[in-house]
Amino acid sequence: MIPDLSAAAGAPRVAAIEFPFGRPLGQPHDAATQRAVLHATLDALQGASSPGTVVHLPFEWPEPPDQVHWHPKEPSPIVQLLARDPTAFQRLARLADGDIPPEASRRSLRKRAHP
Amino acid sequence: MANSPHRVVDSYRYLSPASRAIIRTMIALAPRDPLPWTPLRGPLSKATVALVSTAGLSMLADPPFDAERERQDPWWGDPSYRVIPRTATEADIVASHLHIETAYIQQDLDVALPLRRLAEAKVAGLIGALAPSHYSFMGYLLDPAEFLEHSVPAMIERMQAESVDAAVFVPV
Repeated sequence: MIPDLSAAAGAPRVAAIEFPFGRPLGQPHDAATQRAVLHATLDALQGASSPGTVVHLPFEWPEPPDQVHWHPKEPSPIVQLLARDPTAFQRLARLADGDIPPEASRRSLRKRAHP
Repeated sequence: MANSPHRVVDSYRYLSPASRAIIRTMIALAPRDPLPWTPLRGPLSKATVALVSTAGLSMLADPPFDAERERQDPWWGDPSYRVIPRTATEADIVASHLHIETAYIQQDLDVALPLRRLAEAKVAGLIGALAPSHYSFMGYLLDPAEFLEHSVPAMIERMQAESVDAAVFVPV
């Protein structure tokens, strides 16, 4: 999924897999792949001997990325906002840089939206 | 399924530029605490295991995650959590995550919360037991403060009460 995010969020052991969002274990009703992914994950859990271990699992998703359907039918609220208001990208960057705290940014945005 | 034994997983393979910007912000806002480390108390074959999904899953009998408030305030994500019993199936749950196609989870819960596969792993002797309770929260949290302050301690307390040895976190 996004092992960079799992690691940043403090997961001491990470089993990374390059499957599309929404289906980390595999396709619906593909019990064999789901089982193999779970077993590989449990192996990674048992085998990790130090914090920060990232095991890259070898599984390959059968569809090329441009044919994978993982997005919701209606884009998420933040993606819709980014599409209609490019300054939201700057707000994301300022949040990431710590220039504005998340709580304050939400308040200021809501105030602007509902003056 | 063809596998690549030397694969290095690309965190950003499926992400659009907008999604990348969001994920980069989430990474930047994650607390910079030292990595926790709790060694397994024994072999996994004797361990009680709980699953934790970021898919925003709730039981039909429980309130769903608050998607409406997120629609009103796209910078907000619901910081609460839900308990999912080990017997739950796709017929018992709703997935409220606004950032992914949830239809696959509604077809087969094991694509994101592999309770049946974990039950098989217990029968096969790979783990000792499934915890009675498993968990879900809303993975879209730009600001994790409230989640960390309230939801995480509550989940930990319940896991400890149920003698959980290992929590397998399953992001979607």
